[in-house]
Amino acid sequence: MRAATGAPVLPGLRVQLRVVGALTLRELGTRFGRDNLGYIWLFLEPALLGGAIGLVHHLSGHALPGGVDVGTFWVIGYVPYYLLRGVLNRGPSAIAANQSLLYHRHVTLLDILLARNLLEGAATAGALLGFALFFGLVAGEWPREPAKIVLGMLLMLGFAHGAAMLLATGSVYSEIFDRVTHLFTYLSLPITGAFFMVFWLPTELQRAALWVPTVHVFELVRDGQYGTLVPTSYDVPYLLGWVAALNLLGMAGLRRARRDLAL
Amino acid sequence: MIALRGVHKSYHTRLGHREVLGGVDCVFRPGEQVGILGRNGAGKSTLLRVVAGVERPTRGRVERGMSVSWPLGFAGAMHYSISGADNARFIARIYGKPLVATLDFVEDFAELGEYFGMPVRTYSSGMMMRLGFALSLAVDFDCYLVDEVVAVGDTRFGERCRKALAERRERSALLLVSHQAETVRAFCTSAAILHGGRLTRYDDLDQAIAQYEAG
Repeated sequence: MRAATGAPVLPGLRVQLRVVGALTLRELGTRFGRDNLGYIWLFLEPALLGGAIGLVHHLSGHALPGGVDVGTFWVIGYVPYYLLRGVLNRGPSAIAANQSLLYHRHVTLLDILLARNLLEGAATAGALLGFALFFGLVAGEWPREPAKIVLGMLLMLGFAHGAAMLLATGSVYSEIFDRVTHLFTYLSLPITGAFFMVFWLPTELQRAALWVPTVHVFELVRDGQYGTLVPTSYDVPYLLGWVAALNLLGMAGLRRARRDLAL
Repeated sequence: MIALRGVHKSYHTRLGHREVLGGVDCVFRPGEQVGILGRNGAGKSTLLRVVAGVERPTRGRVERGMSVSWPLGFAGAMHYSISGADNARFIARIYGKPLVATLDFVEDFAELGEYFGMPVRTYSSGMMMRLGFALSLAVDFDCYLVDEVVAVGDTRFGERCRKALAERRERSALLLVSHQAETVRAFCTSAAILHGGRLTRYDDLDQAIAQYEAG
């Protein structure tokens, strides 16, 4: 609306930043409370879950194909998956949970989704940073190329955010999305690529696995962690294509949903 | 100035397509206190939400040349799981108002006592209304949109609201929807009747009320 009347874009952007900032702080308050160690849970939740999984597999003593370090493999698979699942699962409830805030005209559906998902991203980033330091200091397992891990996490966030916008859009029209999303994220765990590496698979299966966009994310993150120690295969432009398409569709969907939403 | 140009609003319901507003044309100017009278289900709250811009018209458009509050009433605009104080902080942040001044104003105006630090869901409806009104006054809009509940609630608070609005009379506009003529008479200087999805304005308050009560 603002752009249509010819007003400058910059103030609009400033309002959006202000709104997203306020929403993020509020989200922090509602999710973790304002008492005690409330905010610490933000990082602790993914860290504890990831740590538990890494520890169990470390203690079980099963070696992985290619001699990959067991602890780091499970943790750097689990943390990005936690981000994906967290963002997707919370997508269908995003609008219903924040509907009363839409009474403020300049709070948009995109702002609501952005605030929630950026917070989720910050939580997993914090947890991953903690793990990187832990594995580095304790086991000398420093990431070979940290920038690739950062890129991988950003792409995962972008992918999940785009998909979550579509789920949120769907939730305005049907309750089915809220019901099946959890089931879907749970059942799709084996094919996301969180806990297998592409080079472990037979050639035929490799080609099939590389159709799955998230497989590329996990391979990219592993490349950042292990470098040339293990072969990884991923295609960043392919992944970027998914991220761009999902985000464009998601934003268009939210625009449409806002028009049809009755408060 | 707020201008509604051929505003239509319809909803899809289980009973099919239902048109609530069927072509509303109207202009509200700064300093006007307009009461909008309508029977239950006439579409008063829908009109208010469309003017506020929280719901889009199905057809037509709304031009806002001044800052317009959110629709003040029981529901909406607040977050129930956080405290009144946190709501005030949130409002200050999204509207770009100073944090401390806003908190002080809301605490003082809403008179919630120690409930100011408790989650809004523990409030009585009267307390919620006071908080909502205080929040909107803290933002300092040019035009206030009020659903009748605010006006008929707690009379002492009603008096304070009336005074706060009167102080702004020169620069602030007020749009109040109600099904009660007395409420409109107490707060407004002119009136309009919403009937059959259309809005008819009257310059003379008494004429509007007489017409409304006759219909």
